[in-house]
Amino acid sequence: MHKALVVAKHEFLATVKTKGFILSLILPFLILLPVMFTSGYVTQIATDSPRNIGFVDETGILQPDGIFIRFEDIGDAENALLNDEIQSFFTIPTDYLKTGRVFLYGTGEFFSSAPTDLVEAFLIDNLLHDSGADETLSDRIRHPADVEQITLNEKGEVEEKQEVRFLIPYAVAILMMLSIMTTSGYLMQGIVAEKENKTVEILLSSLSPEELLTGKLIGFGSAGLLQICVWICSGVLVVSLTSLAAIFQEIQISLIMILAIPYFTLGYLLFAGSMACVAAPASTMKDAQQGAMIFTMLGILPIMLLGVIIAAPDSVIARVLTYVPYTAPAATLMRITLTGIPVYEIAASLLMLTISVIVVIKFSARIFRSAILMSGGKIRVKDIPGYLKR
Amino acid sequence: MPDNTNNKRMFTIWQIAAAVIAGAQREKTDEPVLDVTHLTKSFGIKTILDDISFHIESGEIFGLLGPNGAGKTTMIRIILDIIKSDHGSVKMFGKVFDEDFKERIGYLPEERGLYQKITVFECLKYFANLKNVKKPDDRIDFWLEEVGLIDYKKRRVSDLSKGMQQKIQLASTFIHDPDILILDEPFSGLDPVNTKIVKDIMLDLKRDGKTIILSTHQMDQAERMCDRILMINHGEKVLYGTLDQIKAGYRESRVMVVEYEGDLKPVDGVIEVEDYGRYAELGLERGTDPQDVLKNLMESVKLRRFEMKSPSLNEIFIEVANDA
Repeated sequence: MHKALVVAKHEFLATVKTKGFILSLILPFLILLPVMFTSGYVTQIATDSPRNIGFVDETGILQPDGIFIRFEDIGDAENALLNDEIQSFFTIPTDYLKTGRVFLYGTGEFFSSAPTDLVEAFLIDNLLHDSGADETLSDRIRHPADVEQITLNEKGEVEEKQEVRFLIPYAVAILMMLSIMTTSGYLMQGIVAEKENKTVEILLSSLSPEELLTGKLIGFGSAGLLQICVWICSGVLVVSLTSLAAIFQEIQISLIMILAIPYFTLGYLLFAGSMACVAAPASTMKDAQQGAMIFTMLGILPIMLLGVIIAAPDSVIARVLTYVPYTAPAATLMRITLTGIPVYEIAASLLMLTISVIVVIKFSARIFRSAILMSGGKIRVKDIPGYLKR
Repeated sequence: MPDNTNNKRMFTIWQIAAAVIAGAQREKTDEPVLDVTHLTKSFGIKTILDDISFHIESGEIFGLLGPNGAGKTTMIRIILDIIKSDHGSVKMFGKVFDEDFKERIGYLPEERGLYQKITVFECLKYFANLKNVKKPDDRIDFWLEEVGLIDYKKRRVSDLSKGMQQKIQLASTFIHDPDILILDEPFSGLDPVNTKIVKDIMLDLKRDGKTIILSTHQMDQAERMCDRILMINHGEKVLYGTLDQIKAGYRESRVMVVEYEGDLKPVDGVIEVEDYGRYAELGLERGTDPQDVLKNLMESVKLRRFEMKSPSLNEIFIEVANDA
C-alpha cells in the first residue's frame, strides 16, 4: 500500500500542477465573478442613462407623461435624439387607430434595446384613458394574466414550486458527470502517456500492476475530488451572494451533498476502472478514447433523458437508470431533486454500484496486468478472455 | 557526569559484530541468486519460452543473449514478476519471488523511459521512493555525480540530450543500491566515452559483489565482460555455460589462420577465405578435418604459420541464429 500511495501522491501533484487542471478550477470564477460584477455595473449604467422617449402625435390622443415628451414635428424630435436629450422617439400617424402603425426612431445599437414594451404600455394607458373603462378592467387589460404553474403527481396531488427545481437536476447531473468523466479521462491519459513514454515497465519493476493501478485510482480520484469541492464551494459562494439563494431554499441541499460523495466516489471508481481496461492495451490516446466512448455514452444517458426524468421522476425508465451502475450517479441525483426517492431504492442503487465497482476493479486489474505492456492498439472483445487468462 | 564512553564503545562493537555476521551469512549462502527452472510461456499459439532452466551465481556478470524476438525480454519480465509464466518457477535468493524482492533489483529496460515534463531530481526521487530508499536526496546526488550530471539536477528531463537521459536512466537503476542488476542493452545509444563510463560503473558494481544480468546484442562487450552466458533462440536454450565451455563446443568448425608465401588456391572444405596476400583466414566447412586442408594448402603455398582461431562469441551467435 505504501508504494500505491507514492504513486497516488505523484499522480495527484502531477495532475493539479497542469495548466488544464488549474484552469478548470479557476474557470468558474473567471466566468461567474465578471458576470456578477458586470451585471450590477450594467444595471447601474442603465439606470443612469437618459430614459426619456419622445413622441410626435398626429392623432391627438396621447398626453405627455413621465419619461414621454411630446414634440410638435419630426425635425424637433430628430434634433433632440441627435443631441442625446432623448434615447428614442416614435411617431403616430393620423391613421393609427385604423392601422396600429407606429414608427420608432433611435441611434447606435438601437434595435437591440428598442423600448417597444414601454411604448406599448404608454399607448395602452392613453387608449384606456379615453375609453371610459373602469379601473379594474383597465388593470386587467394592462395585465391580463398572472400565470402560476401547478404540477400534479401520479396520485393527483399538487406539487408546489416545481418550476424552481427545473434547473437544479440539470446542474447537479452535469457537474457530477463532468467531474467523473474528467477525472477518469486524466487516469486514461496517465496510463497511455506512461505507455508512450515507456516509463510503465520501470514502474512495474518496482511495484505490482495492482499497486500501480490502485495508486493511480487514488491519485487521480483525489484530484477529481478537489476539483468538485472547489466547484461546489465556488457555486455555494456565488449562490449565497446572489438572488439564486432563494431558489436553493426549496431543495434538500444537505441530502444531495451527503449522497454526492458516495455517488461521486463509486461512480469515479466504476468509470476509472472501466477506462483503465481500455487504456491498458491501447498504444495511443486515440485508441483509448475510441474504446472509452461506450462508457461515456452510458454516463451521459441520464442527461440525454433529462426530459423524461423531469416529466416522470418515478417512472420505470427513471428507476431503471437508478439501478444501472453506469447511469446511477447522475440519475439518482437528478431524481432526488425532483421527487422523494424511497430509501430502499437509494440503498439498492448504492449496493449495485458497490458490487459493480468491486467486479470492475478486479477485472481491470487483471486486464491491466496482462495488457499494460502490449502494443496491439485498442481493446477488442475477443481479446478479453486472453487477457484474463494471462 | 555519567561516563558513556564504554557504552558507546560497546554499541559500536555490537554494530560491527552484527555487520560481520550479516555479511558472513550473506557470503556463506550457497543458494544461487537466481534459479529459473523449466520456464515456459506462450502467447496464444506462439511459444515464447520453452522449458528454460538456468541459474545465476552471486557476484557474476551473466550474459542473456539471443537475436531479436528470441524471448529475452519476456524472460526478464517473468523474472521481475511483471508477467506470469505458464509453467516453471523463479526463485531468488532461494525463495519463491515476492514483491519485496523488487527492492533488491535494479532494472534498465531496453526501451528507455523518463518523465519528460519534470526535473531530473523529481524524476529520480519518484523512482527512489518507489524503491523505498531511505535518504533519496543523498543517493540522487551520489549517482548524479557518478554519471557526471549533478549540474543538471534542477533541469527538466526534456531539456537533456538523449545520451544524458540514458545516463539519468542508469542512475535511476542503481539508485536503491540493488543486489541484482538487470541491464537490457545498457550501451545502446551511448558514445564511446559514455560507453566506457557505464562499463566502468558495471565493473565497480561487480567488485562490490553485485550480480549483473546483461542482455545485449553487442557480442564483443558480452565476451569481454560476462562470466557465463545463456543464449536463447526462438524461445529455446541453445547455449549455456562459461565462455570457455561454449567456445570449446564450437572449436571443430572454426577459422584456420595461415601465414604463407605463394599463390593461395581454392581448397576443398574451405567455404570462406579472407586473403590479405601473406595472411589469410579460412572458414572451414563443418566436419572438415583441418589436417586435410593443411595437406592441400601445402601443395600450393609455403606455410610459415598456422593455427586454429578460437571462435568469437559473435561468430557463434551468428551461427546459432542462422542454424535455427
